[in-house]
Amino acid sequence: MISTFISAIYRTLQVLLTALMALLIVPVVLQIFSRFTELIPRYIWTEEVARFCFIWIIMLGSMIAVRDDSHFDLEVLPTPKTPRGRATARLIRHAAMLVVALTFVWFGYDFALFGYQQESELTGLNMLTIHIAWPLAGAVYVIFLGEKMAQDVRVYRGGTDE
Amino acid sequence: MSSVQVALLLFGVFFAMLLVRVPVAFALGLACVPVFFIDERLTPFLLLNEMLKSYNSFLLLAIPFFLLAANLMNAAGITDKLINLARSTVGHLPGGLGHVNVVVSMLFAGISGSSTAETAGVGGVLIPAMQRQGFDARFTAALTACASVMGVIIPPSILMVVWGGVISVSIGGLFLAGVVPGIMIGLSLMIVVVIYAKRRAYPVHPRATMAEFGRSLLHALLPLATPAIIVGGIVGGFFTPTEASVIAVLYALVLGVAVYRTVPIRSVPKVLYESGRFAAISLFCIGTASAFGWLLAYFRIPQIFVDWVSGWGGGPVSVGFIVAGAFLMAGCFIDAIPAIIILGTILAPLATTVGMHPIHFAIIGVMSIAFGLVTPPYGLCLMIACAIGKVTIRETLKDVLVLLLPMLGVLCFVILFPEAILALPRWIMPAFVK
Repeated sequence: MISTFISAIYRTLQVLLTALMALLIVPVVLQIFSRFTELIPRYIWTEEVARFCFIWIIMLGSMIAVRDDSHFDLEVLPTPKTPRGRATARLIRHAAMLVVALTFVWFGYDFALFGYQQESELTGLNMLTIHIAWPLAGAVYVIFLGEKMAQDVRVYRGGTDE
Repeated sequence: MSSVQVALLLFGVFFAMLLVRVPVAFALGLACVPVFFIDERLTPFLLLNEMLKSYNSFLLLAIPFFLLAANLMNAAGITDKLINLARSTVGHLPGGLGHVNVVVSMLFAGISGSSTAETAGVGGVLIPAMQRQGFDARFTAALTACASVMGVIIPPSILMVVWGGVISVSIGGLFLAGVVPGIMIGLSLMIVVVIYAKRRAYPVHPRATMAEFGRSLLHALLPLATPAIIVGGIVGGFFTPTEASVIAVLYALVLGVAVYRTVPIRSVPKVLYESGRFAAISLFCIGTASAFGWLLAYFRIPQIFVDWVSGWGGGPVSVGFIVAGAFLMAGCFIDAIPAIIILGTILAPLATTVGMHPIHFAIIGVMSIAFGLVTPPYGLCLMIACAIGKVTIRETLKDVLVLLLPMLGVLCFVILFPEAILALPRWIMPAFVK
């Protein structure tokens, strides 16, 4: 039940990321077209829309990569030999990441409020729509990391990998 | 706390976190958190704010687009066309496919701005082909990884876009300055291939006829026009680097979907997703690295470093070697983009103090950090090439070292003779490059 819910979040993030990547192309193309042809007026919002899509792409990608463990890391120490050792190593790594996640949630609240008091320069968009990405990312990290840590606690107790 | 203590705390936490396999982006963020609590004017709120500021850049938008263009070109199978062209040009030299590998990497470097896309694209086709022809797996993987380093040195280059955005240097100028060292690396690798081929009796292709060469050139002509469009468009002032990267995407889409019909429309979302995800992971590091760099600057750590090194009384050459050494070392452990942001922040004042040309400084930095793509433990291109060639990184180490030697020679040449790389941008863009 819970894992279905978490997979649904993951899937939604993937769809959103794909859609935003496609969307990202549009304003930049409009910008080029408006400069070199007379077909459309020279919009000034294109640059800002592209930047905002971009920020969301980065934050969505960072959430996805927490679940599929694809953030770049470094293999310096040898991998532990026992399932319990490996679970402990993963627990340490994920606990450290959890600190960052909680920082995003805790300080992200003020950050979102700070955004709510501002409007963007070109389109007049409320900046909450951008700032909210941080507490949201923090919360999603917490969910994804929680799923991983629960699994590793089970491995640690049972003494075998899944 | 003194600045030196802050520096020790920042780097200490960062390295400790890397050691327990915390991802680089998170380790950088974690290192910042305690420092935000030691000064009452600071709060972790600034971490989020610095991240947002670093992502809010129209220039960095070029990165997902350059990746997308490269992945679309890969999906469209242009690599095969480039390989045919390279085979008919250099396939008859001793070490046949080895030279093809180097030349294809050079051509591909002119089309894409990403070394990892290059390793995956070129390696995916050529590593199995070379192994079938009797090249040993270790050399094949090492050569593919080393050759794809040219991807970020020959324009366009994602790393140069990052550098230009973070340290404010003309990107057109950087692109042009990358041409000479890129070609030199290619030629130096080809010399090593000849030596290997003679000693290990690697196979040779029969020399291609003029007709074959003409045919393969014709087939590769459309993809080969990409660098002219991108670099020409930027240098000529027609579009910004970001706009040029979108043009590259559209061009790749037209080639894949309409001209060659090798990319079915329904597979486009997958390419979009993969490119977006990879760009996001690389760029996420920019945010936490910027916060890290901001803290370094806040505690005046770069200035202390400059004073310390100036005490030795070195000139541009010795600073050039310091810059190269620092980036080479960092490249062994962290990803190129955070390395540029952190070390770039620390070293830029030093380069200015000794009167180094900003483009010269940038090219030394980009080249050294690009070599980091093949140096373990953290060498992304080597990891990808080893995965394709089914060899371990440890097995390839000796060949990587041999191949790196001439590349390091080129780096020394660039440090000693700045005029050699500055001539091209000065000639073509005199208004932008003093």
